[in-house]
Amino acid sequence: MLKGFINMLVKELKELMRDPKIFLGMIVIPLIMFPLLGGIIGFSMQTAQESAQRAVVLVVNHDSGPNSTQFISYLNSSLNVIRIDVTTPVNVSVLMNQYNATDAVEIPSDFSENVTSKQPVAVNFYSVFTGSGILETVTPSTIDALVEQYNRYLAPDVVVPEKSVIIKGTIVEGVDPRLLSNLMISQAIAMPITMIILLSYSMQIAATSVAMEKEEKTLETLLTLPMDRFSILMGKLSGSIVVAGVGAVAYMIGFNFYMGSFTGAIPAGTSVDLASLGLVPSLFGYLLVGISLFVTLLSALALAVIVSAFVEDVRNAQSLIGYIYPFVFIPSLALIYLDLNSLPFWLRLVFYAIPFSHPIIASKAVVMGDYLTAIIGIVYVAAFTLVVMYVASRLFATEKILTAKLKVRGLRRREKPPAEGLE
Amino acid sequence: MSLAIECVNVTKVFGKTQALNGLSFKVEPGEIYGLIGPNGAGKTTALRIASTLLLPTSGILKVSGLDVIKEAAKIRSFIVYLPEEAGAYRNLSGREYLEFMARFSTKDKGKVHGMIEEAAGISGLGERLDDRAKTYSKGMKRRLLVARALMTKPKLAILDEPTSGLDVLHSFHVREVIKRYVREHDVTVLLSSHNMLEVEHLCDRVALVNKGKIVAEGKPQELKQKFGSADLEEVFAKVVGFA
Repeated sequence: MLKGFINMLVKELKELMRDPKIFLGMIVIPLIMFPLLGGIIGFSMQTAQESAQRAVVLVVNHDSGPNSTQFISYLNSSLNVIRIDVTTPVNVSVLMNQYNATDAVEIPSDFSENVTSKQPVAVNFYSVFTGSGILETVTPSTIDALVEQYNRYLAPDVVVPEKSVIIKGTIVEGVDPRLLSNLMISQAIAMPITMIILLSYSMQIAATSVAMEKEEKTLETLLTLPMDRFSILMGKLSGSIVVAGVGAVAYMIGFNFYMGSFTGAIPAGTSVDLASLGLVPSLFGYLLVGISLFVTLLSALALAVIVSAFVEDVRNAQSLIGYIYPFVFIPSLALIYLDLNSLPFWLRLVFYAIPFSHPIIASKAVVMGDYLTAIIGIVYVAAFTLVVMYVASRLFATEKILTAKLKVRGLRRREKPPAEGLE
Repeated sequence: MSLAIECVNVTKVFGKTQALNGLSFKVEPGEIYGLIGPNGAGKTTALRIASTLLLPTSGILKVSGLDVIKEAAKIRSFIVYLPEEAGAYRNLSGREYLEFMARFSTKDKGKVHGMIEEAAGISGLGERLDDRAKTYSKGMKRRLLVARALMTKPKLAILDEPTSGLDVLHSFHVREVIKRYVREHDVTVLLSSHNMLEVEHLCDRVALVNKGKIVAEGKPQELKQKFGSADLEEVFAKVVGFA
């Protein structure tokens, strides 16, 4: 055994664990954050399943035989079915809109005949695609499971599902809504990951940059130079944005290769071209997402500068930044899967109130052509950023930048007494 | 001609601690004025108020006739402040640091170059100026910062413990440089120090500060005569009732 190792280890553990910032940031916050995240997603899944049971599935029946009635009754046992019998061709999309249905099943006129003779019969399934997340696949999945059970009961592959999605009111044939949804999610993962990396890196950089000035005792000199105090703040924010931006680009290039290594292995025939389906943002959409990301980044940086103004060194600044991370991580991770509209109103408000949710909300909205949501988000985050920037600029304009100090135990702010350095 | 510094009954309170308690002094242009006293006397707080870093809780402090509360930005255009434990940017070379600082005084490249050369001479760092500041010893760093403070030939230099961390020879060099700049470039200096010997050799006038106020003031020689003491240390001990 190394001589003195145990003694050294015990001392280290005592010192680290007794530091409330480390204890809270490293242990308490992850213990709260991940169960909370799991709780939100679990709750949303449950809500989605309940709403799927209530969701209207329109059955457009062209068949007059007994088997279609039996099939519809079977579907109705698990789903909320509205049956319409028709004899002439109809526009299913219009009917779905009329009945406020998210999914539809169109039974052909030869259904009973083919089922009786155990011949394969193509049944059209339609699903409205909203791009809201994994939970919108709950109803199509339920229908898939029911069809599989029905086939098992009759004979293999009698009912052959022909799947289509309705994107922005247009029927796109031959696209499985579940495959599309999963593809959208895999594409959408890039945004939250970018958010987490970009915001956490840049906040660390900004906080370290201010704390370093304090730790190295260069801030006092800086504050007496003939320059605008706001220039100091803007210089720090801009520097952090540039460095974080370069870091994010490098990260995204690496991440792109990482994702490419998976998608490259998928056979070409199974892939879905999102661009041809109109499911990639327009140039204006990209611009809105870019603006949203920029104002959010600015708010995060200004927040980091404020936080670091209350500490004396880099270590404390980085620990304090840890308290902001849950507000970045939770919306980023939750919104990969969640549809905000499936959440209770109060929880939706919480997500909307967190500025770091908005670039992800915007990136989902612009894909579906919903620019208003993105614009409202930008306005909200810009207003939040202005308030935070104002507070940060006031801090730099006054002696508070030197005298304010956060007492973490109890999170009580106090002014630094002369005995601790001001003499 | 207005006073370089006029400090009238200034107080400064931090929470429950009174750092300055009615501090008053005047500094004439072209003078080297020293604040001396023990730790916690209020010297640094006074220098920070004069350099517009802190605001007085009450009282008036004017620099060249300008109020530190209302006209701080104007004051910053002609002063330099050297904090006691100041550092330089670790990842900038000494030369880059000097250039960064010089650019706040002038946009003229020639003048910036001239200031850097001036600072190189004061600091005596030679080729080490091109090394990053993180490789400097404490003494080298201090010499760089003193050079930075004087290279712009400011109207008022506020120096907190200017020779802190320097060895005997470099301390002597820095004191000579300060005296030369005052003589040749009309620089006024307000400094603080624990080192009574240094103050005695450097300052035209000194103020003995204790518990946030001045307990004695005058030329070093006069103070020694007045209190019948061999040096300023003894004067201070007698004034505060320690001896």
